[in-house]
Amino acid sequence: MDTSSLFSAKQTPFMIYSNQSQTNHISSTIRSSDLSDPFATGGKWASRLLRECAKAISDKEHTKIQHLLWMLNELASPYGDCDQKLASHFLQALFCKANESGNRCYKTLISVAEKNNSFDSARKVILMFQEVSPWTTFGHVASNGLILEALEGQTKLHIIDISNTFCTQWPTLLESLATRNDETPRLKLTVVVSVATEKAVMKEIGQRMEKFARLMGVPFEFHVVNGLSRLWDLTKEELGVTDDEAIAINCVGALRRVIVEERGAVVRMLSGLKPKIVTIVEEEADFTSLREDFVKCFEECLRFYTLFFEMLEESFELTSHEKLMLERESSRSIVRVLGCDGDVGFDECESREKGNQWSEKMKESFTPIAYSDDVLDDVKALLKRYRAGWSMIPAQGDDNGLYLRWKEEPVVWASAWKP
Amino acid sequence: MSIHDDTSSSAMTGDPITTTKKKRSLPGNPDPDAEVIALSPTTLMATNRFVCEICNKGFQRDQNLQLHRRGHNLPWKLRQRSGKEVRKRVYICPELGCIHHQPNRALGDLTGIKKHFSRKHGEKKWKCEKCGKKYAVQSDWKAHLKTCGTKEYRCDCGTLFARKDSFITHRAFCDALAEESSRVVQMVPSLISAEEQQPKLQIVVAANDSPTPTSPPTPIIISAQIQIQGQELPAKNTGISSCLNGSSSMSSSNGNGTSMFANLFSSSSTMAGELQRQQQQQQQQQHTSFADLINAMARSERSMTNVEPISLCLSSSNGSSLQYAAPFQPALSATALLQKAAEMSAATTNASLLRGLGVSLSSNTSSGQQQHQQENVHWNRLMESEGSGGIGELIMGGGSSSMFGSKPTTLDFLGLGMGVGGGSGAAKGGFSALLNSIGDRLDVAAGTWGDGNYSEQRKS
Repeated sequence: MDTSSLFSAKQTPFMIYSNQSQTNHISSTIRSSDLSDPFATGGKWASRLLRECAKAISDKEHTKIQHLLWMLNELASPYGDCDQKLASHFLQALFCKANESGNRCYKTLISVAEKNNSFDSARKVILMFQEVSPWTTFGHVASNGLILEALEGQTKLHIIDISNTFCTQWPTLLESLATRNDETPRLKLTVVVSVATEKAVMKEIGQRMEKFARLMGVPFEFHVVNGLSRLWDLTKEELGVTDDEAIAINCVGALRRVIVEERGAVVRMLSGLKPKIVTIVEEEADFTSLREDFVKCFEECLRFYTLFFEMLEESFELTSHEKLMLERESSRSIVRVLGCDGDVGFDECESREKGNQWSEKMKESFTPIAYSDDVLDDVKALLKRYRAGWSMIPAQGDDNGLYLRWKEEPVVWASAWKP
Repeated sequence: MSIHDDTSSSAMTGDPITTTKKKRSLPGNPDPDAEVIALSPTTLMATNRFVCEICNKGFQRDQNLQLHRRGHNLPWKLRQRSGKEVRKRVYICPELGCIHHQPNRALGDLTGIKKHFSRKHGEKKWKCEKCGKKYAVQSDWKAHLKTCGTKEYRCDCGTLFARKDSFITHRAFCDALAEESSRVVQMVPSLISAEEQQPKLQIVVAANDSPTPTSPPTPIIISAQIQIQGQELPAKNTGISSCLNGSSSMSSSNGNGTSMFANLFSSSSTMAGELQRQQQQQQQQQHTSFADLINAMARSERSMTNVEPISLCLSSSNGSSLQYAAPFQPALSATALLQKAAEMSAATTNASLLRGLGVSLSSNTSSGQQQHQQENVHWNRLMESEGSGGIGELIMGGGSSSMFGSKPTTLDFLGLGMGVGGGSGAAKGGFSALLNSIGDRLDVAAGTWGDGNYSEQRKS
């Protein structure tokens, strides 16, 4: 699309998708005649507009930026269809980028989120998400299966959980431990969280875990360590690691929050704990290697969140509150990735990397553990329970791990490692 | 018989019973005169117990062999079984670390030990295509196939789940679980009612001959084996009730002690017709909570009678189960969940149900002492799962359930709220045993309770 057509569309944003956009017309009549057009011709108007805008920002074309932001603002809605939602959330990020207000905006969003963050709401969102989509449960099943295999026969287990899953991964593992053939082992669960999470919800979660373990008859200890923002710095003592324990480290959606420069140090720290197994689950996107190139990073971010939003749209009920919460969370991430200057003021980031990138890092201290047929079967059985569109595929070639795919696109990567 | 031919087998005869009396709840409690057979894993799995002497075909069950023998058209005389009694044989598990490897825990049934060996130590090669669950024993797998996908899991909060893992996760995080710890007493009936597989509960209530008006109402004994004759017991009663009152955290509001029992047995299945009359009597004697019990039983009887054997109590696929989840049994599904867990690995679960619930129970099973005078000892007696049972039988497992180490088991019933793994280290698997045992057999007899002394006469 050339610039002239864009500017001629000033009165009516819709015109830019219309073949008659060069004709002179009264905006109102065009509006009525072309209203359905951009939507009818395959939708995706949001990504086209957003791309234009990102490019304009990168090129510092201020007029065009203003214009596109205005259009996006007219069209976007966080409560609309998928395009409108994408437009809304990316608009916020682009606006921040354009005005260099990202850090402030992000801080505001975070503090609002923290204020509203309660055990109740987090629980609802997470559990509902698990019900309707394997996005998170895929990683749970894949990791739990291998953790159980790696710790088989051990009597003192210590799971160090560095995750964003609020312990929702563990009840099924506790149940499996309770129904294991041999003697039920002792389980120590150490959860590494951020300050905000700790304050908001960990007490409730700890109590529930303890109760549930008691109910299941698994001797259980629960600890919370506040250290997500300095993961590379954590010591054995802080984590309560002792020599007679069999250790499993579970990282779900956590490594991407470690600032990029310290990721190697985190891997070394994990290796220093001498775990029997490290499980890693991350969303399959690369906001890291491209972060210097705004447009490319934007493209990747848009690609990933388009998938995510479409997935949410198809998985949840139309008016689901939980879906809205997940979208808001995504919105914050998008602002963090695109709107903020990477290294200013935050201990944590959203710099996702893809499975092969994590694999490279892990391979410096670890070797991959292959998924057993049993675990693969479990994952397959899991995916069958959800709507069509989900599949899994083991990594090919030099790549390691297992991918969850949504409509043939890999979206989540799971892997397991040993020293 | 081929089983003797195995080189690795060592036929040994021992007196496996070292203590004077063994709990019936221990599986594998063989006849002391039985011949203990140890088979290698291969031989064990290849062995059929019942072999046709004509064609050498092996059968797992005697009845099958008998049916088979008819096909050989033998003369009548030969059809009779040979007169000489084969010495009874018991079998131990080949797995060295296994509890059933010990001769005194051998199983009397070859099929039983085979299944045990497969389940506990074997490869799970039978897999359900629907849910991925794996089984070592084909018959277990077949049984699962019949029910897979038909279950629904209902949480106390009302949410229904088709999948077990979602249910488990939800269960752990649901407020209903958080509330349960304060409802210990209600949990117990739930557990009982959760076991629908063999609704063989029988409640017999025998009236106390002369209850004094001032004394607490007649408490109830549950017995797995005997029906208690009320008149055999001393007339007064304080035992349980005072004991109950003494343990405040267990039953906070019941002034007379029996309401707990009302709860406890509110889900029993059948009721003697006599019960109604008893009810009248009891009510006249201002035993209101007893009446509650009976009402509760009456209520639950309805919901109990035509329950699908396989469903967890939270199943909503049949109407009766829904009744089951009725408000007076709020904790049902939690326990069903636990039941599920217990079914699979009862033997190894290290915390008793009651401890899991924040209640502990005391049972001094190995002591032959009958001279308990103190109130809490009544519980011990009650809990004792020896012979005539009592609640202990209920809790610790009926005849063929497992779960208790060969060592004497001590559970502190009054040590309420004890932490897992704390203190009573010997307490093992009560929970699992309960669930298993109820399934195995559970006759509940309610009778009168003596004053102070628990009367051994009940064993008559």
